Amino acid sequence: MSTVSTRAPARADGPAGTRPPARRRRARRREQRWPAYVFLTPWMLGAAVLTLVPMAVSLYLSFTDYNLFDPPRWVGLRNYQEMLTEDPRFWRSVGTTLLYVVIAVPLKLLLALGAAMLLKNLGRGRAFYRSAFYAPSLLGASMTIALVWRALFNDGGSVVDILGSVGIDTGGWVGSPDLAVYVIVLLTVWQFGAPMVIFLAGLQQISPELYEAAALDGAGRWRQFVSVTVPMLSPVVFFNLVLEMIQSFQVFTPAFAVSGGEGGPADSTLFYTLYLYERGFTASHMGYAAAMAWLLLVVIGIITLILFRTSRSWVFYADEEGR
Amino acid sequence: MNLTTRRWIPHTIAVVGLLVLLYPLAWLLATSLKPADEVVTSLDLWPSHLEWSNYTTALDGVSGVPVTRLLWNTVLIAGGAVVGNVVSCSLAAYAFARLRFRMSKVMFAFMVATLMLPHHVVLIPQYIIFNQLGMVDTYWPLILPKFLATEAFFVFLIVQFMRGLPRELEESARIDGCGAFRTYWSVTLPLSRPALITTAIFTFIWTWNDFFTQMIYLFAPEKFTITLALRSFVDQSSTSAYGPMFAMSVISVLPIVLFFFVFQRYLVQGMATSGLKG
Amino acid sequence: MPEPRSGRRRPLSRRAVLAAAAVGLSTALTASLSACSSSGDVSSGGVTLTFSWWGNDDRAARTKKAVELFEKEHPGVTVRTSNADFGSYMQKLATQAAGGGIPDVAQLDYRQISQYAGGGALLPLGDALADGTIRTSEMDEEFVRTGLYEGEQYALPMGRGITGYAYDSAVYEKAGIPTPRPDWTWEEWARANRRITDLGLESPDGRTVVGANDNGVNEDIFEDWLRSRGGKLYRSQTELGFTEDDLTEFWTFCDKLRDEGVVAEAEDTSQANTTELSPMGRGLAAADFTWDAPFPGYTALLGDQVHFAPVPTADGRQGAYFKPSMLLGVGAGSEHPKEAAALVDFLLNDERAGDVLGFTRSTPPNRGIAARVARTLEGAEKEIYEYAQRMEKYGLDAPPPAPPRGDVAIQTAFKRAYHRVMYDLASPRAAAREFIDEAERELRS
Repeated sequence: MSTVSTRAPARADGPAGTRPPARRRRARRREQRWPAYVFLTPWMLGAAVLTLVPMAVSLYLSFTDYNLFDPPRWVGLRNYQEMLTEDPRFWRSVGTTLLYVVIAVPLKLLLALGAAMLLKNLGRGRAFYRSAFYAPSLLGASMTIALVWRALFNDGGSVVDILGSVGIDTGGWVGSPDLAVYVIVLLTVWQFGAPMVIFLAGLQQISPELYEAAALDGAGRWRQFVSVTVPMLSPVVFFNLVLEMIQSFQVFTPAFAVSGGEGGPADSTLFYTLYLYERGFTASHMGYAAAMAWLLLVVIGIITLILFRTSRSWVFYADEEGR
Repeated sequence: MNLTTRRWIPHTIAVVGLLVLLYPLAWLLATSLKPADEVVTSLDLWPSHLEWSNYTTALDGVSGVPVTRLLWNTVLIAGGAVVGNVVSCSLAAYAFARLRFRMSKVMFAFMVATLMLPHHVVLIPQYIIFNQLGMVDTYWPLILPKFLATEAFFVFLIVQFMRGLPRELEESARIDGCGAFRTYWSVTLPLSRPALITTAIFTFIWTWNDFFTQMIYLFAPEKFTITLALRSFVDQSSTSAYGPMFAMSVISVLPIVLFFFVFQRYLVQGMATSGLKG
Repeated sequence: MPEPRSGRRRPLSRRAVLAAAAVGLSTALTASLSACSSSGDVSSGGVTLTFSWWGNDDRAARTKKAVELFEKEHPGVTVRTSNADFGSYMQKLATQAAGGGIPDVAQLDYRQISQYAGGGALLPLGDALADGTIRTSEMDEEFVRTGLYEGEQYALPMGRGITGYAYDSAVYEKAGIPTPRPDWTWEEWARANRRITDLGLESPDGRTVVGANDNGVNEDIFEDWLRSRGGKLYRSQTELGFTEDDLTEFWTFCDKLRDEGVVAEAEDTSQANTTELSPMGRGLAAADFTWDAPFPGYTALLGDQVHFAPVPTADGRQGAYFKPSMLLGVGAGSEHPKEAAALVDFLLNDERAGDVLGFTRSTPPNRGIAARVARTLEGAEKEIYEYAQRMEKYGLDAPPPAPPRGDVAIQTAFKRAYHRVMYDLASPRAAAREFIDEAERELRS
């Protein structure tokens, strides 16, 4: 790679950060290259055998008609064409998924960051609250949790009753094509433990000396938040944003559990991957499912790339400091 | 007064938040004690009477496999996954974060890209590979991938953390004559402890709850996990046992609660307490 | 949980604890991983068969007992069993079929037969039938034919099921509705729903109890409705057997009753994926269309006043028919086809196995065994056995050949299309057109 500035994912992802001056770089290269491959051996092995090969197979399948039983039959771009031009359910699932991503990602991240900041400011009892806030995330989206959420959001359930008592009459959410998707949004937002813990760990990593220095300069709490917490936490914010975005595009288990695997009522919770699963396994059109998967990969890839590009202007890495 | 309000506001928010967050869990717990006819129909939180038989049924296990065996199986798989992920992901992450090598950007981009492909479409090719290796119906397909850092989420997580560490410490270690391995082991790794603990906790919980992979690869009921067993209480084509399923759900979550309680406190110590002094 | 106050000496002890845990765990893991691989192998020169099915815990316990009898009978043969819930089982079997072969003996759904047989996942059983390894002399010839694909026997029915109508007889009595007979009509059924709703009974959540579930989502009942009028679901492996008009009429009928409020509401119908979650199971409706096998679940849940009645007819001609509730097939890649076929035969024809299995897979297809086991039946199971006999006496048309390959997708599409009717997103006709387009695409591909 040395002097060629690659176009691939921008600098922020840039494994080893900025380039040191040429002289040092040459010296370092000699000293550092082979250990890198030793460190990477397990990863490379797994990537080649367990990831690259299956990915290549699925890419191939996306150009075939494959029903899981008979050998795949080459159909060229037929799957992609059908998906984009002839399948109304495909577009419905795209719409539902986008709605979900746009609502669930910011909501979950804000809640996670808020909870992490709150925990940081709690003195006594912090450990207890941290565990308690994480508790919902321990359960995953099991069938029991799905049933609990159905009970809470059905007609006569607690949530619907409480809303009713303040004059908002929604009726049951789970059986409503307009509201069912929000049941799933709330279920995943409720399980904000993972990004919260990552935020917390990020907050822990910020050296207290930075706050002390800021306080000495007369910065108040808000000022400290803006000038110390935000920049120091930005790599973690970036990480959470990218990961939550990627995971939300692929949301599957909560919708599968709540809708009993059907994406109903009336396709209102038929998220992209749920539809993909239905095409692949229920209807045995694995070629079509593979095409859907690769289209999703490309779309998420583009969005991620954009995030990486913009990250240069707002993500602050300590290892680039002062260079 | 100002001081007291300042102390009370966060606590009040925390308590209120807690009640909202834990209400569904209370519902789960209460449902696990409801008699059969109330489990899915009742709109009350409290059971009309406590039906402990849900628990005795659940404790009997499923398909003749006792619940202790199911729990032990799950602990083995989740524990193996934790060791695998912590070791392999931290190794890969160190290379991505700190070392220079050919095609590093391409490899990094590929690693991130693997997160983006829905896993359902690689399921069958992976199954074929493990089947060829004779590993179907063993725990290998559930654990081996973790030792090969296939969970890009964690590699990425640790990379981000390592990149947030100041380079000065490593450079001084290097000046002291440490090679890449010594630097990794004695400087970077201890500093990355919050990320490693996070990796361990998430891996444990996620593996514990990962119904899908377990379902595909395990055949013999005596190798089943508690998560798989949970499913066998409900069957569309025959009668279901929702009460015991809820009880089993509570039982299955206890070990993860325990795991989380034990390990989450290590999250507290970042650089603030031990890092810079170490 | 107090937090450690100082990081001074702790890292060492903490590390020690973690290291100890890691060592302990890896030892246990190695031990159990190696244990796995050894137990998976053929035991001492004998034959190991694999056998899997779906179903609940009761079915699992009984099936295992029957398998133990088989092992005792065939020294040197070990059978490794596995079971799961229906949804998981289907996914797993499909993965196995695509990725290395299904178990030696596998329980199959009627809707899968064409797919698995046509896709080469199943072993043709012609030889085993010819040499008497698998005996079918005690079974109805017509019924055995349900395991045919393109003229070749690929699977054998393991249970005989039939659609019916679970209803609360106490409510029916209160509403003054006579006990439904095999020739009752859809019009009578609609009237019954109105009368029940008029009673104004209160359900657990305070709403009025309605007559029945909305069966517009239920493709099985649509098939009965069609057959009762002389139609059929499929004309061939590539063609539907009904028209847009037929389906529009059926859905208009269902849609009207729901609009009237005499069958379950859309939001309750859309959530009904088990007995317990169905409108009847939740106490919202007085009746439900279902199969005979799940029927005992209704009485267990709701009480002995729930009985099993025939599906209504157009004009006295019964549309219901005996359908294999599940079949047994032998994996195409089986290394021990002989033993696998023997296990199939044992499960179907051995009297002791029959006693143990009972009616866990609805009526055993072997007549002798069915009659023998029937003597020991009680309550709901006895009722479904007698129901089947009564229907047989009344006269049913022969079952159609196994449904075509796209059937599973078509069934889900049926339900989904009616959802659009229920939620006023499409008229019955528009939904019928959408569904038929989709079904024809499935059948062509």
